[in-house]
Amino acid sequence: MLDVHIGGDGGGRAGRPGSPHRRRWRRAVGGAASALVLSSGLVGCGGGDGGVPTLTWYINPDSGGQAEIASRCTEEAGGRYVIETAQLPRESSQQREQLIRRLAANDSSIDIISLDPPYIPEFAQAGFLADVPDEVEQRVTEDVVQSAIEGSTWDDELVAIPFWANTQLLWYRKSVAEQAGLDMTQPVTWEQLVQAAQQTGTTLGAQGIRAEALTVWVNALIESAGGSIIEEATEDPADTQLGLDSEPARQAAEVIELVADSGVTGPAFSTAGEDANVVQFEGEGAGFMVNWPFVWGRALSAVEAGTMDQSVPDDYGWAVYPRVVEDQPSAPPYGGINLGVGAFSLHPDFAFEATECITTTENQAYYMTTNGNPASDTAVYDDPEVLEVFPMAPVIRDSLELAASRPQTAYYSEVSGSIQRTYHPPSSVTPGVTGPEAAELIKAVLSGEQLL
Amino acid sequence: MSTKERNLWIAGGILILLYCLFPIAWIVSLSFKAPADIANGSFLPTTFSGVNYETILTGSASGLFLPALRNSFGICLIATAISCLLSMFAAYAIARLDFPGKKLVLSTALAVAIFPVISIVTPLFNVWRQIGLYDTWPGLIIPYLSLTLPISIWTMSAFFREIPWEMEQAAQVDGATTWQAFRKVIVPLAAPGVFTTAIIAFFIAWNDFVYGISLTSTGASRPVPAALGLFSGASQFEDPTGAIAAAAVIVTVPVVVLVLLFQRRIVAGLTNGAVKG
Amino acid sequence: MSTTTLPPTEKTQPVSAPKGGISDRSRAERKLGWLLAGPAFLVMLAVTAYPILQAVYDSLFSYRLTDPANRSFNGLTNYWVILTDQLWWTAIGVTLLITVITVAVELVLGFALALVMSKALSSIRPVVRAAILIPYAVITVVSAFAWQFAFDINTGFVNSWFAWLPGISPTTDWFGDFGTSLLVICLAEIWKTTPFISLLLLAGLAQVPEVLQEAAKVDGASWWQRMWKVTIPNMKAAIMVALLFRTLDAFRVFDSIFVMTGGANNTESVSFLAYRQTIARLEIGLGSAVSVLLFLAVVLIAALFIKGFKVDLAGTRGDS
Repeated sequence: MLDVHIGGDGGGRAGRPGSPHRRRWRRAVGGAASALVLSSGLVGCGGGDGGVPTLTWYINPDSGGQAEIASRCTEEAGGRYVIETAQLPRESSQQREQLIRRLAANDSSIDIISLDPPYIPEFAQAGFLADVPDEVEQRVTEDVVQSAIEGSTWDDELVAIPFWANTQLLWYRKSVAEQAGLDMTQPVTWEQLVQAAQQTGTTLGAQGIRAEALTVWVNALIESAGGSIIEEATEDPADTQLGLDSEPARQAAEVIELVADSGVTGPAFSTAGEDANVVQFEGEGAGFMVNWPFVWGRALSAVEAGTMDQSVPDDYGWAVYPRVVEDQPSAPPYGGINLGVGAFSLHPDFAFEATECITTTENQAYYMTTNGNPASDTAVYDDPEVLEVFPMAPVIRDSLELAASRPQTAYYSEVSGSIQRTYHPPSSVTPGVTGPEAAELIKAVLSGEQLL
Repeated sequence: MSTKERNLWIAGGILILLYCLFPIAWIVSLSFKAPADIANGSFLPTTFSGVNYETILTGSASGLFLPALRNSFGICLIATAISCLLSMFAAYAIARLDFPGKKLVLSTALAVAIFPVISIVTPLFNVWRQIGLYDTWPGLIIPYLSLTLPISIWTMSAFFREIPWEMEQAAQVDGATTWQAFRKVIVPLAAPGVFTTAIIAFFIAWNDFVYGISLTSTGASRPVPAALGLFSGASQFEDPTGAIAAAAVIVTVPVVVLVLLFQRRIVAGLTNGAVKG
Repeated sequence: MSTTTLPPTEKTQPVSAPKGGISDRSRAERKLGWLLAGPAFLVMLAVTAYPILQAVYDSLFSYRLTDPANRSFNGLTNYWVILTDQLWWTAIGVTLLITVITVAVELVLGFALALVMSKALSSIRPVVRAAILIPYAVITVVSAFAWQFAFDINTGFVNSWFAWLPGISPTTDWFGDFGTSLLVICLAEIWKTTPFISLLLLAGLAQVPEVLQEAAKVDGASWWQRMWKVTIPNMKAAIMVALLFRTLDAFRVFDSIFVMTGGANNTESVSFLAYRQTIARLEIGLGSAVSVLLFLAVVLIAALFIKGFKVDLAGTRGDS
C-alpha cells in the first residue's frame, strides 16, 4: 500500500488512499511517459488482471493536448477506467496503414482511435469500428458543426464521435492586400489572388506536393465549383460514379493551371506542403496562402521564442477560402480528427463514455487554445478565452459550416492516390484532360485492373 | 616515391576524408539548428542549439524515439547473437569437415543474400498477423536472420579457413586434453573472426528499414530507422527536420564508435568474406 | 590483347580424411557436417523459401486485407494486370536506370578510392580506412535524410553554395522533377555504397602480384598500360564479385526513394511499387504478385551475371 502513496505523491496526483490499483498512479506520470510505459509492453492487456480497465487511445501527433485530455478524463472516471495514449505516425495515410494492419488482426488493445475523417468510411465498412449507441449519438451531435457530423457519418449512420474540426483559411498579408487594392471583407476568387500577387510581386502559397495535401486542394476546388470527385458511392467499387469529367472539375483544373503557371507560387511548388507554405508566408515577399490555422499558433510561438518580430503576425489577415466561381460560395477543405471506438475493444462502454468526456466543450476549448486545433463544438467559438487567442475563431466557424468533406468511400486511399498521381505535378494539369484521366485511373484501380 | 607523387596521394587521402565525412558533418550541424534556423540556407547553424536533442530525448518525440532506440538495440543484438551462433557451427563444418552439402549451404547463403527483401515482406506480414508475431520483437528478429545469416556464414567460413587447425592436434600431442586444446588454442584463434562477423552482422541489422516499417506498428517493436520517418513537428503540419537530424546523429554514434575501434578487423571481415577464399 | 595472370593461389585444404578413405569416418563426418550446418541452413530456408512460396500462392488470389470475405482465386490475373501496366515498366526502367548509373559510377570511383588507399602512406592509411567505413556503416535512411535535407530548397545549403554554377539558383527545386530527383537519389546511393566496392577492389588490388607489376615496369610499360594489362585483368574476379553484389543490391533500392521523394515524379522503384500495393493499398494478392516478379527479376540478373560474365562465385571463394 505504501508504494501507492509514494507514487501518487510523486506524480503530483493524490492516489486514493489504500487503492490497490497500481496503474492509477502510473497514469499520473503524464502523457509522454504513459506512451513510453505502454509501448514498452509493461501494460499489455486492457485490464485483464482484474484491476481497473485500461483504455488505449491511439492519437495523432499533437502538442501534448490529447495526452492531457486523457489524463483529465481518467480523473473524471473516478477510478473506473484509465486512459493511456499511444502515438501514431505523422502522415494520416501512415496512421491508417498502421491502424488497419492491427485491426485486421482483431487487435483488442485498440479502444479509442483518433481518425482522420477521409478514412472513416473504410474503417466502418471493414467493421473495425464499434456501433455508436443511439443515446451517445444524440449527445455528441448536439451543437456540432455540420461538416464534422458529415465527416463522422458513413452509410447514413454516425460511426465516429466528432472531436475537432479543421479547415483551411485564406491567409494574407494585410499590407499586400492593401497595396493590391483587394477588399478582403468581400469574398475573393483565385483569379483575383493570382492577379494581386503578380501585381505586387508577392507569393501565393498552396499545397502542390504529391501527398494528401494535394488531394485536399483538388477536392476543395472541385467542391467550390459545385462538383464532387465522387458523385455517388456504390456497393461495388467499380461502379462508383465519378464527377471528374464535369464542368466543375474542369473549372478546378483551370484554377490549378492558373496558379501553377502564374509564377507567384514561389519556387518548389511541386514539393510544397503546408510547412513549406508557412515558411514562405513568414518570410519576405509573402502575399497570400491557403493553409490550416496552425499557422497562427506557430507565429505566436515564434514571437514568444524571439525568432519572429511581432510585426509579422500583426500583418496577418484571414478570410474564408477563395472562390473558384465568382458568385458561388467556396467549399473550404474540411479536416480534423474524429474518434472511433475499436470494434474489438474489450470495454466499448467505457470507451464511448471516454469519448464523450474527451469531446466536452471544455476539453475542446482547452485543445483549441493550447494546441491550435479548432473545435467541432460550436459553443467553443463563443468562449471569450478562445476568442482572445484565436481572433479568427468566427471565420473558422463560418468556414467549417461551408466546408466540404473529401470523397466518402471505403476506397479513399485508392481515390486519393490516383488523384495525386494524375494531378501531380500541378503544372502538368490540363483542364478537360487531367480530370477524365484521373477518373479513368480511379476506375481501373478500383476494379483491380491497374497498379497504383 | 617522389615528393610530388607523395603529395598527390596525400591529397587523394584528404579528398576521401572529405567525401566520407561531409554528409555526416552536415547532419550533425543540422541537428544543432533551432527550428527558426533550419531554413537559414547555410551549412552551419547561426547559433548552436540543443533543442532538437531535447525534443527527442525528453520532449514530444521522446515517446517515439526512446522505445525505438531500445527496440533497435535489443532486436539487432539478439539477431546478431543468434546468427553468429548458428553460423559458427555452420562455418566450422564448412571450414573443417568434408561433407557433400557444403556447396549447397554456401550457395543457399548467397541466394538468400541477394534476395529482394520486399518480396518476403508481403507474405511475412500476412503470416505474422495470423500467428501473433506482428509488431513483436521475435517478429523482427526472425526476418533479420535472413539479412545477417548469409553474410555471417560467408565471413566466418573465410576466417575459420585460415585457422591453423593442426595446432589443436599439436597441443593434444603436448598433453593437453581435447577441451584444453580447444579452449587454449582454437578459441583465441577463432574469436577475432567471430567478433568481426558479429560487428558486420550488427551493421546490417541496424540498417534495416523495410522490415521495420512493414512488420511493426507501435513502439513495442518499431526500430529507429522506421521511427525516423514518423516524427512530427510542433504541429502535424510542420516538418520535423531538426528532430530527424538529431535522431539520425544519435543512431549514427554507435556505428561510428564501432568503426573507429575495430576498423582493421571490419575491413578484413568484409574483404575476406567476399573475395578471398 | 594479351593479359598477364598468375594461377589462383593455393587454398587451405580442409583437414579431413583422403577421398575414398575409411567410409565410417567419412560417414560420421558427413553426419557431423550436416548436424552443424543444418540449423543455419534450415533457418535460411525458413525465412526466405517459405515466404516466397507463400507469396506465389497469395499472388493467385484477389485478396484485400480489409475485405477478407471476398478473397477469391483469380489465377494469373494479377500478373496480367501488372505486366500490362505502364507503371510496372516505368518502375523497372527507373530501377534499371538507378542501378546502371550507381553501379557504373561506384565502380570507377571505388577503384580510385582503392588505388589511393593502396598507395596511401602507412601514416594516414588507418585514418582513411576508418573514414571510408563510415558511409558503409551509416544507416541508409540516415544517409537519405542527410542528402535530402542538403538539397531541399528550405533546409538545404546546396543551392546557396553552388549558385555560381549554371543551372543552379537559390530557387532550384531538386525534388521538383524527375531528372534532378534521380540525381540526388543516385548521389546518396553512391555515397553510401562506394566504400564497400572500394574495399572489395582494394582486396583485389592486394592480390595482384607485385612481381608482374615490376616486370611490366622493367619492360617500359606506362602507368596506363600497367593498369589495363596487369592490374585489372588480375583482379577481374574481385571486380565481378563487386559488380554482381552491387547490381543486385542497387536493383532492390527502396529506402532512399521512400525517404526522398516518396515516389513522386515517377521515381518509383520496383521495390517501392511492391510496398505500395501491399502495405498502402492492402492488396495482398496484387502485392504478392509484384513481389514474385521482383524476385524473378533478381534471379534473372544473377543468372545473367553468372552465365554471361562467367562469375564463378564458388570458384572465387575457393570452394569448387
